[in-house]
Amino acid sequence: MNKQTQEYLRDIPMKPYDLLKEGLIVLLVISGVVLVLAILFNSPDYPAVRSVDVASRQPILYLKTSANILAGNSDLQGYGPPYTPDTANAQQVFGIAPANWFGVTDPINPPQDLVLAPLNRVAKLNSDVATALQAYQAASPDQQQAWVDAYLAALDKATVSSGQVQIPEGDYGPVATMMDGMLQLGQAGLLEGTLNSADNVPYMLNPTLSLLFFQDDVDQQVANSLDMLGGQWGMSHETGPYPGAWWTAPASFLYQIPPMSSSPNGDLQTGLLLGLVFLVMLFLPFIPVLNKLPRWLGVYKIIWRDWYQKQRSESKASGYRPAEHSSASTD
Amino acid sequence: MNITKEAQDFLKNNLTLEDALPTQMPVYVNSVAYLFGVSALSALVLLILTGTVMSLFGPDWYHTSSVGHFVNSLHFWSVQAMFAMIVLHLISHFFMAAWRDGRWKTWMVGLLTFAVSVFAGLTGFLLQTNWDSQWIAVQAKDFMNSMGIGAFFNPMDTGQVLTLHIVVLPLTIMAFVGLHLFLIRSKNPVKPLPIKQDKEA
Repeated sequence: MNKQTQEYLRDIPMKPYDLLKEGLIVLLVISGVVLVLAILFNSPDYPAVRSVDVASRQPILYLKTSANILAGNSDLQGYGPPYTPDTANAQQVFGIAPANWFGVTDPINPPQDLVLAPLNRVAKLNSDVATALQAYQAASPDQQQAWVDAYLAALDKATVSSGQVQIPEGDYGPVATMMDGMLQLGQAGLLEGTLNSADNVPYMLNPTLSLLFFQDDVDQQVANSLDMLGGQWGMSHETGPYPGAWWTAPASFLYQIPPMSSSPNGDLQTGLLLGLVFLVMLFLPFIPVLNKLPRWLGVYKIIWRDWYQKQRSESKASGYRPAEHSSASTD
Repeated sequence: MNITKEAQDFLKNNLTLEDALPTQMPVYVNSVAYLFGVSALSALVLLILTGTVMSLFGPDWYHTSSVGHFVNSLHFWSVQAMFAMIVLHLISHFFMAAWRDGRWKTWMVGLLTFAVSVFAGLTGFLLQTNWDSQWIAVQAKDFMNSMGIGAFFNPMDTGQVLTLHIVVLPLTIMAFVGLHLFLIRSKNPVKPLPIKQDKEA
């Protein structure tokens, strides 16, 4: 035992102890508990959202997702850093917007990167789509917007018959053909590969674009059906009966209360509050009043009850009252 | 300066063999509260073991193999056990005001270990490559971006998440845990709060 500890514990009786035995016993117990839980309950693996499933089972939803992105209606449009240069849209608190500090590090143009770029690939295989894409890109922005808006409005009245989407007649220009191309891409299960393929290497380790493609209506609907929306304590629980990241419950709780629950700056407000709470906990030993809380709460009397009983019995037996042997100081 | 001699002196003054592998303990160390830390450490050992097995076969293994899924289940419940024990360890040591008598560094390193573990837990959930990871990724990115972290960490970039989860974060956690253990064994368990306070209460 080092000298400092010898000095610190000089008045304290010692008892025999076996660190390695205790450690091994605890390891065995924890291993047993984990083994039993794994055998009894397995682990969650709820199927991922895939383009092939959405395009085949919910083709109208898939088309709305594609058309909304093309129309510039996605949440990603004008998001701000790190995706777009719209710094005014970055979350801020008291004028401070950390998202803007590092600028656009992952540039994304939603209509171009999520719809037109995949359609350029489809155009290599489908001449109708190639012609439609050419016509769309040759049109003025106003005309493009008018076609897409009309198509989106028509989708509200669309039906699915024998797996085919029936859309009322209207002036959609080349957009209907383009969207058919997107639907075929999805139904073939090729959307993710098209979105995620890198320019310079034939490996796909970064599915950012395909995740962003479905983040609006599709993901929201799935999350809602599984009680996983932000207002339903979102990420802190798993699908089904499994415990999720319950240790993030304090963060989820902050999202449930104003102003975080309704503010467009809710993420930043929550993040700053969590940071503050963490700093308070980190520096707790030095914060007056708060570092006295354990004394006032008195739970330590239960934790060390054997020690206090022993002290009381020895005091009674000898008529000697033990002196204080520790302070509440931090050092 | 003889670095080896300095190291010997440092260990003699801070971590003797009896400190590192104690065969005796103060009598007040007699509560279940003292078992939460070693329980969390045991769960961490299981996490490293099961995680190593999973990393041998790659991230898709558990979707396609029943053995892989079982190892994933062991990993999943080890995470649950570790966080349960960390939280109990943290709460019990708060009630013991365990930062007293020069143990503030132990408290702080423990808190930092917890913070890194929470981040490691997030990357683990993101690596499930199922619906949960998809949803958590698109939700977490808004939080990360709002805090300016998005410029460095993209929760939707599975490649980055994978390398963080299986290399960077485990090494960081092990370094912090090692430092935490060194401080614990160097200082030995803090004494109970003054008995005088007990009588007055």
